[in-house]
Amino acid sequence: MAEKRVHWSVYAFGVYLLLPLYWLVNMSLQRNQDIVGEFAIVPRNPTLTNYAEIFTNPVWYEAFGNSLAYVSINTLVSLTVAIPAAYAFSRYRFLGDRQLFFWLLTNRMAPPAVFLLPFFQLYSAVGLFDTPFAVAFAHCLFTVPLSVWILEGFMSSVPREIDEMARLDGHAFGYFFFRLFLPLIKSGLGVTVFFCFMFSWVELLIARTLTASEAKPIAVVMTRTVSASGLDWGVLAAAGVLTIVPGIAVVWFVRRHLARGFALGRV
Amino acid sequence: MRSMIVQDLDLGGRQPVSHEFRRGCINVVLGRNRSGKTRLARVLSGLETSAPGTVVCSDGDVSGADARERRVALVYQAFVNYPNLTVAENIASPMRAQGLSNSEREQRVQDLSARLRIADLLQRFPHELSGGQQQRVAIARALAQDAGVLVMDEPLVNLDYKLREELEMELRALLADTDLTVIYNTSDPRDAFKLGDEVVLMAEHEIIQSGTPLEVYRNPHSLTAASLMSDPGVNVWSEEQSLRAVRPEHLTLDSERIGDIRFEVVLTGLETNGSETFVHCSYQDNEWVARLGGMRHFEMDSTLALAAASGDVLQFARMDAAREHA
Repeated sequence: MAEKRVHWSVYAFGVYLLLPLYWLVNMSLQRNQDIVGEFAIVPRNPTLTNYAEIFTNPVWYEAFGNSLAYVSINTLVSLTVAIPAAYAFSRYRFLGDRQLFFWLLTNRMAPPAVFLLPFFQLYSAVGLFDTPFAVAFAHCLFTVPLSVWILEGFMSSVPREIDEMARLDGHAFGYFFFRLFLPLIKSGLGVTVFFCFMFSWVELLIARTLTASEAKPIAVVMTRTVSASGLDWGVLAAAGVLTIVPGIAVVWFVRRHLARGFALGRV
Repeated sequence: MRSMIVQDLDLGGRQPVSHEFRRGCINVVLGRNRSGKTRLARVLSGLETSAPGTVVCSDGDVSGADARERRVALVYQAFVNYPNLTVAENIASPMRAQGLSNSEREQRVQDLSARLRIADLLQRFPHELSGGQQQRVAIARALAQDAGVLVMDEPLVNLDYKLREELEMELRALLADTDLTVIYNTSDPRDAFKLGDEVVLMAEHEIIQSGTPLEVYRNPHSLTAASLMSDPGVNVWSEEQSLRAVRPEHLTLDSERIGDIRFEVVLTGLETNGSETFVHCSYQDNEWVARLGGMRHFEMDSTLALAAASGDVLQFARMDAAREHA
């Protein structure tokens, strides 16, 4: 078998993409004095103290916990709302269905900053401010429409006859929906989880505005960690590395279906 | 009593439909595309309950009942199976809904898969099967429902020719020893003869005639009925204020002298498959086809003398013609 040769530019591009990542990892394994000291490609005195700091200091690990909390709530709520909605859009015709469906997408056209003020005021009034729920619900405004679009595409690729056949077989709707239908679109569910997770995990503006101290997410802590003693480079870098890990994990699970997800389930 | 009766069922034609599909019979519903066959199948099976009218089966009046509550099975034209279930699980699906025990289900799955000759495929998934095998699974699942009525909507159309013939013969044998009420939709008149104990002709969302296949073949009430039961269609001409028609297979060469009516036609095309020759010709500005035995050859555009027996000529009132071309 003839070996396929990879063009040098592919390697060059790979290096270009990985360089900042590498540098982040590099920094996370050094002490501050080494980082600001002499330039080194490979850490001279590698250490895990930065990671130890994050896992022992509640400011850090609670921030991670906060982030994971609202991201999970957001993903859960988005799926719970979007699955029935997508099924309705996919299977039923009702007055204004097309318009409503398009309107869902137009929600994504508004920059998140637009909603800061109403969210802040509203959540303060009802006592949701500075809780994971505040951020999760605010993010739902963006992730629910996206989820509906993605899931509708996946659901519409399942022939309607499957639904009818389940009726003919005599299955109750619940059995059909959870046991026969959802397993058919499990890649779609995976992709939807990925998009919800990613949006919520990297979003900074809303997360920062709607939290103060209790529910402060990791991204916010990272941008605020400039203390009187200056920047703690090493710990920041370690936090950065740890922040990337969940993303990589999620991407890994849905890597085969991602392309279809970006096409909103329509291939 | 397990026959299926429809009364004043509105399928969108000018007249509502009333008919009794007899039990233990294969009722072939013959009609062209968009004649309302599929609509009828969906109404009978309960997938559509919005059509006004009455549907009665062994359980009584089921007009408003959803497919879940009706004991009617349906086989689609497309090969529809649950893609994420194995063949065995597919067949077991309706029995699971009925709450049969594991061992009963297993027993029935074995039994049905043996009858449909898919016993060695039970652990496969539908996408690993050929089209014919997929349809066998769909039929097995429909039978597993143990319903009184089995509706089949052009089940063999998507199969290639040889496979279709084969499965057709098997179906005939399979259904012969059940007392199911079978409703079999098709657009091919040959199916009516091969499978049908009874044939129901549909056109424009109405039932236009029904009876045994031979009865309907011999005595069509209208030109539409005659052409539905004929492949290729009937040859039409007008004479004395009425419309006459003769089937392609009833035309012979005048020189072979079987008929007593003579037609001078102009040859426009020839088509042969070795055992038969289809002679395309024109007679009084009508397109005709004659079906002659064996390989034939004639000069194109030549005039040909065809003959038919007067007993084979069908006669219809003019009214029908207006409707035919409407």
